[in-house]
Amino acid sequence: MIAVLTVEARKLNRSLAALLAVAAPSLIAVFLFFNLLRGGKPQPWEMWTQSSTGIWAFFMLPMSVTALTALVAHMEHGPRAWDHLRALPVARWKLYAAKAICVMAVVAAMSLLNLALTLAAIHGAAAIKPEIMPTGALDVTAQVILMGKVLLAAILMIAIQLWTALRFASFVPALALGIGGTFFSVVATAAKQGVFFPWQMPVNMLAGEPWRAATALTLGAGAGTVVLLLAITHLSRREVL
Amino acid sequence: MAMAIETRDLTRRFGARTAVDRVSMTVPERAVYGFLGRNGAGKTTTLKMLLGLIRPSAGSAFVDGVDVARDRMGAARRVGALLEAHGFYVNLTGRENLDLTRTLLGVPASEVDRVLEVVEMRDNAARRVADYSLGMRQRLGLARAMLGAPPVLVLDEPTNGLDPDGIADMRRFLKSLPERTGATVLLSSHLLGEIEQTATHIGIVNEGRLVLEGELSRLKSDLAPEIAVRTDDPVRAAEVLRGWDLTVIASDDGLTARLRSGDDADRRSAELNRALIQAGLSVFAIGPRARSLEGIYRDVSQPSAQPQPETVR
Repeated sequence: MIAVLTVEARKLNRSLAALLAVAAPSLIAVFLFFNLLRGGKPQPWEMWTQSSTGIWAFFMLPMSVTALTALVAHMEHGPRAWDHLRALPVARWKLYAAKAICVMAVVAAMSLLNLALTLAAIHGAAAIKPEIMPTGALDVTAQVILMGKVLLAAILMIAIQLWTALRFASFVPALALGIGGTFFSVVATAAKQGVFFPWQMPVNMLAGEPWRAATALTLGAGAGTVVLLLAITHLSRREVL
Repeated sequence: MAMAIETRDLTRRFGARTAVDRVSMTVPERAVYGFLGRNGAGKTTTLKMLLGLIRPSAGSAFVDGVDVARDRMGAARRVGALLEAHGFYVNLTGRENLDLTRTLLGVPASEVDRVLEVVEMRDNAARRVADYSLGMRQRLGLARAMLGAPPVLVLDEPTNGLDPDGIADMRRFLKSLPERTGATVLLSSHLLGEIEQTATHIGIVNEGRLVLEGELSRLKSDLAPEIAVRTDDPVRAAEVLRGWDLTVIASDDGLTARLRSGDDADRRSAELNRALIQAGLSVFAIGPRARSLEGIYRDVSQPSAQPQPETVR
């Protein structure tokens, strides 16, 4: 399995997926940087970090997962590499499991990069305009834990997106699903039922009501893991004609 | 003789359509086996079943003695494949692409240099595949198929995209492979001339069925000889030849009279020449013609629903 994982990771070298992994968190940091410069008064650290996590969980994470899973799947769909891979003496479930692990790892790296770039943006803006330097103490550990929960709650969404991207050779179904999912997540923000909607589960980690966060985390991580395993089983058993 | 590839009544149906119909093929060890057929005849489906990519509806396939359906991994270890779609990661270099497959195969890193040397691609190995020509990708695909020195190579249209020099190089290379590496080559192609110059054995598949198989030289010698005839009046010449109870085929090049197996083509040419002149015809040219693979192919791969339009009986 280590060999298959290594190969999967090496495929990302110089790829659009690697570019996306850097570009998406950078956009949030850039937005935050200019937003900070607009202000004249200092705000608590938590306000800015929550703001960044909110944008990430609510919008950028679903969109990034949509693009990332499509790009990772297209590495094989594009040059029709599945036949070559599946003809090798490697258990097929490992090929798909490696893809899933790789996507999860990239999303985790993007989450951490988002946090790191957020802090860099805040410090950068404060260096230019010292009066906006956030007040209070910065709890980095709490932020890392929050990002981790957002990631866990996103597993169901990632599993659905990855299965769609791997199942269909065309970009269209995966993109349509991702755009549709994000759209309904945004327009139905206030809906109580949103906690059961996979694309809204990550942002529910920021919800004020504890039951929402707990439900989204349990469903996102638990059902997500089950769906991911079912997806790997299905993909490895089906014939690619 | 030991068989590198063997199928027994291999069948694959897609719904009501039977793509491969009870194909029993045998590829001897160290052969270069040309697998011929029209588009949609069932070649690719057969190759995919040999590689374990799709499951047969019935029958079985063996690679180097290993049943593909029962032990896919064991069979996969014994076969290297160059498929029509190269499947390269264009963001990576040629060497990086080979190294990915090498890692999955679990063979030593030195294998990459060895196969690059064999296909004469060492100088270009550090370039990204996106910058490769089609011919270079084809050679890289061949290098990838040879990683780990599998005893069987399955090559789907290996001369696709090559220029004439590249085709000649590839032909020489493929012909020498069994002697140099001990490998058996199953070569799928629609280029009859290339197969004729490269293959030691052929199999022709038509409408899902294997209609002819054997050693190419033997097939050619066993087939009835032919005599090419050019006269000033092909219609009357055909009548004369039919009077000798011969099958006559008309084409733009003139007439072809097919003799019976064992006939002396030189002697029969002289007899027919006399007969045509006695019938008042001007004979421009007449003489035995060696049976070509193209002729064999055309004989056996006519669609079953259509008559043979060029045959005059």
